[in-house]
Amino acid sequence: MSKTLQQKNTRYLLIWLPLVLLTGTVLFYLLMSAHAGHMAEEQLELKQENIRNAFLANPDTLPRSIAGEYDLLAGGSVPAGLLHKQRDTTVYYPSNKRWVAFRILTEPYTIRGRNYQLTTYISSKEITHLIIKVFIAEVFVFILLLVAIVIINRKSSGLLWRPFNDTLKKVTDYDIVDNESLALSTETGIREFDQLNQVVATLIGNVNQAYRNQKQFVENASHELQTPLAIIRSKLDLLINTPQLTEETAGLLADITEANDRLSQMNKNLLLLTKIDNHQFPGQTSIDLSGAVEKLLANYQHFYDGELPLVWKSIQTGISVTANASLLEVLLNNLINNAFVHNIPHGYVTVSLSPHALIIENTGHPIAGGTDQLFERFKKGREQSKTTGLGLSLVQRICSIYHYRLVYTHMQNIHRVTWVFSQP
Amino acid sequence: MKLLIIEDEQSLLKSIVQYFNQEKFLCETAVSYEDGIRKIEDFQYDCIILDINLPGGSGLQLLKYLRQNKNKDGVIIISARDSLDDRITGLDIGADDYLTKPFHLSELNARVRALIRRKKAEGASILETGVLKVDLSSRTVVSAGQNMPLSKIEYDLLLFLMTNKNRVVSRQAIAEHIYDGPSEQVPSSDFVYSHIKNLKRKLKERGCHEMIQTIYGLGYKLTP
Repeated sequence: MSKTLQQKNTRYLLIWLPLVLLTGTVLFYLLMSAHAGHMAEEQLELKQENIRNAFLANPDTLPRSIAGEYDLLAGGSVPAGLLHKQRDTTVYYPSNKRWVAFRILTEPYTIRGRNYQLTTYISSKEITHLIIKVFIAEVFVFILLLVAIVIINRKSSGLLWRPFNDTLKKVTDYDIVDNESLALSTETGIREFDQLNQVVATLIGNVNQAYRNQKQFVENASHELQTPLAIIRSKLDLLINTPQLTEETAGLLADITEANDRLSQMNKNLLLLTKIDNHQFPGQTSIDLSGAVEKLLANYQHFYDGELPLVWKSIQTGISVTANASLLEVLLNNLINNAFVHNIPHGYVTVSLSPHALIIENTGHPIAGGTDQLFERFKKGREQSKTTGLGLSLVQRICSIYHYRLVYTHMQNIHRVTWVFSQP
Repeated sequence: MKLLIIEDEQSLLKSIVQYFNQEKFLCETAVSYEDGIRKIEDFQYDCIILDINLPGGSGLQLLKYLRQNKNKDGVIIISARDSLDDRITGLDIGADDYLTKPFHLSELNARVRALIRRKKAEGASILETGVLKVDLSSRTVVSAGQNMPLSKIEYDLLLFLMTNKNRVVSRQAIAEHIYDGPSEQVPSSDFVYSHIKNLKRKLKERGCHEMIQTIYGLGYKLTP
């Protein structure tokens, strides 16, 4: 799963930073210990020097041993292998009945012809304590460092990426149908983002231009098509009135007339779609939806006179919606028309209008494949030669203009369209 | 009766002329703005069929010129532009009717005849075809002295066929004529069949056998 840049960054920091800090801690400990050892050695050597000097000055009065300070022994019992280097030992203090850790160094001397071994002591307790205390302090500092780095990193990356997020939001909100150019700052203070914004703005500009061109093309093409369509239609009207029409030619003419008619319808629908895209239906009025739906259904029953699927309706009265009257008529017409046209023999249509939604349900053939493409231009649920394939995309365009929600579901052979025209 | 057809598309112009000649109209034609102005100034017409996009000027300009000169000839605009605004502008300037391309010639014929009837009769008018008598103001039909009650659709259908009598009218033309929704949404012409069937039945009951003929799969023809 994808994570945000910040989460990713924090994750890397949290994985690697503790590792680095841990290594640092170990290194620090080793260094500290080494330094402490070195310091102890110097202290021990200094003591050796002092005591040797003191012994040379007062060989008789100087005590031969002070617990925890030194032992000066004639001859010597320390094996040669342990000489000249630090060793650890413990000394028992009877007064407080405790063993105390010491660091000792034994050096052999020959003074006035006699052999001595001088062992000096320094307590290692303080050094160990110091190391522990410094170590704890260091761990605290490192944790503080870790937290601070993560926080600063999060804050600064938030700031750094702000122009990027602004751009991302604008691009996300961009709708090609509105055909507006994107106002992206090219002075974000970060060169990469300036570049990005410039590139995105140019890209969107090109896309808008291409979209406008395409729209213009469809519009022009549809307009230009009207005249040849009118010519074909007029010639057909003349042809069907020629005497001595045989059944065979009549059949051909009927097919041509039908196809030409469908072409005209399609062209008109395309023009309408272009007009909707061009926002050429600006005016809005409050429309009595209940009345409009009732009238449409009555019209249908009127026109189809007996061959109609059964109609069940439950229409609440007094429900209105604010929209352009022509567009709403197109929308209702298409929704209801679909329910009738894509029906099956002895099927039914139910229409229910509530204060927020119009639900139209009809029997029909099951739809093969997904329903996502149903609203695309020229997509047909089945081989329906008598439809233009533009009806539902008209409906969808109108819905997107007014931010209506349109939900299509089907189960087996029951199709249901829910048009939500206001928020409950 | 005299018609002036102003249309720059030769092929369409020819069709319209041919159709109306068959309907025993006298047809004058013009293919440009200047041509149209000249023809308007030279004669009086019962009806002018006017295209909007003309070489040399717009049909709307021509219409304005016509009305400014107190010319009362009936005008039907035929245009490829189908928006409410265009329609309203056309009718505001003084057109009597507005028809969007592509149209059926039978529809144009019905409009022209309706316009001429309105201009001539100034109100009450009776249309007679054979034994059928239609009172246009009260929208009632009498067949051989017998009243014949019809639904709105059947009445429109009968009137349309009577206006185009002795001619084959295609199912599509009928569908577009009697449907009163948005022109982009005319349902398939299948529904025409059942209304024709009802109308035929009612005519048969009044003794008008075979008045409406079905011409193969093409359309219908009313012969008195």
